[in-house]
Amino acid sequence: MSDDIKVDKVFDLKGLPCPMPVVKVSKGIKEVEIGQVIEALSTDPGALSDFPAWARTSGNEILKTEQEDDVIKFYIKRNV
Amino acid sequence: MDQQTRDDLLKLFQGKLNEAMRFYLETCTRCGVCTEACHVHASMGQVKYIAAYRAEIVRRLYKKYFKGRGKVWPSVGEAKELSEMALDELYDAAYSCTGCRRCMVYCPFGIDTQMLMSIAKLLLVGAESEPEILTLLADTSIEKGKSIELFKENFMEGIKRLEAKVVSKWKMEAGETAIPMDVEGADLLYVALAGAHSIIPAAAIFNAAGENWTLSFFEAVNFGAFVGDPTKSKLILDRIVNEAIRLKVKEVCICECGTAFRVMKQLAGKQPFKVSSITEVHARYIREGRIKLDKNKMDGGVTYHDPCQIARNAGVMDEPRYILKHLTDDYRELTDDPRYNWCCGGGGGLVAMGEDTLDFRMKSSRVKVDQVNATGADILATACENCHAQLDNLNDHYKMGVEVKFLSSMIADALVQDAQP
Ligand code: SF4
Ligand code: SF4
Repeated sequence: MSDDIKVDKVFDLKGLPCPMPVVKVSKGIKEVEIGQVIEALSTDPGALSDFPAWARTSGNEILKTEQEDDVIKFYIKRNV
Repeated sequence: MDQQTRDDLLKLFQGKLNEAMRFYLETCTRCGVCTEACHVHASMGQVKYIAAYRAEIVRRLYKKYFKGRGKVWPSVGEAKELSEMALDELYDAAYSCTGCRRCMVYCPFGIDTQMLMSIAKLLLVGAESEPEILTLLADTSIEKGKSIELFKENFMEGIKRLEAKVVSKWKMEAGETAIPMDVEGADLLYVALAGAHSIIPAAAIFNAAGENWTLSFFEAVNFGAFVGDPTKSKLILDRIVNEAIRLKVKEVCICECGTAFRVMKQLAGKQPFKVSSITEVHARYIREGRIKLDKNKMDGGVTYHDPCQIARNAGVMDEPRYILKHLTDDYRELTDDPRYNWCCGGGGGLVAMGEDTLDFRMKSSRVKVDQVNATGADILATACENCHAQLDNLNDHYKMGVEVKFLSSMIADALVQDAQP
């Protein structure tokens, strides 16, 4: 977890087939309240462009992206 | 439904009425040959899952609005008002059809149920009654195309992190790039999916073959096609076409994704590059002696599921078998003629709709499970992400005890890198 961001729910999307990471994050974000934050873990390099494009499309906000070894962490705030 | 909405939807319907579509709408004799052809009906046995019945849902609207106000062929089905209820029926028909076209190869007139379902899907889009997630996925792809400059750097950094894994499958000389990107003048543009599994084995094989290649910034899959929205389909497709033109490549190679391949092959129109499926490219490398494979890497019997959009609907049937002959001595066919292979039950956007369709996907694909089980194979190979995901679900649900594998990863794991010159 990132030190400065309070995470309300974590979604492990590692190794999922296309397009499950985006599908699961779209559904998952609705499980928290507006203003709350989810952390999504992915091993897909494509998520690095898919997630920001999804956030712009859906009106949510990626607060931070971290890449550590194989795992990419997205901190996403529910805006809508 | 108000008059304005109905008029708008009928305009969409009319836009679909080309010569082929009119033929499909006017020709069915209800001979019943397609009844057992559909895996959904063969597995679940309900009348609404007969191909000709699905088509009839669209045909009844056609008769009402485009054919003498329902006075034509009064004995064959009834004309029907376009209403909210009709939309529900269109939804059930279209989203229980995977667009596999198995019914079409059985029909004596070649009636294309998938095409007829594309009318249903378009009307659902027009009425904003399509599966929301498919539109969101399509919009995400389009947004990526518009704002790629914002994401490029991050994506390239993510790709760099995969390079060690590519090299573990195929060693490179110092200074060579394991996953080249944005290379103008490359011979081949590889269009992958988001997942590392779609990139690492493919990269190792390209490098082994000495290919002059470059990786696309975009994902191959076309969600516009799944949701049946031709405008979005085209925008998603154009991202790749424009990239290929900008990089001046000679060939666009589509990863193991059936819909992506069929859409690129059939809808891209005349372009300065040729379109190939990755399976065709791999078969070519073997044929030309550019890669060598070790047969001892495979343990147990292997069978192959033909992805409908690559095999029946785009003609790539000999190539996977040719590859498999170089991977194993124990290859077992699912069917005598791959054109009649059963669909896995995951196409048409059903897999992308995730858990919402899981129960239906499992029930409607029992015939596929029986077909695989009859071979007694240990490995079930395929060459499509969508099929792989569905076959994995079937494997878990029915405890089939097979290992579902991508053909490309089997090839990458069997690459022979001679130490001696
Ligand atoms: S296209 Fe496939 S799923 Fe659709 S009706 Fe025909 S056989 Fe069934
Ligand atoms: S096989 Fe063709 S003509 Fe016969 S019922 Fe089916 S769609 Fe109609």
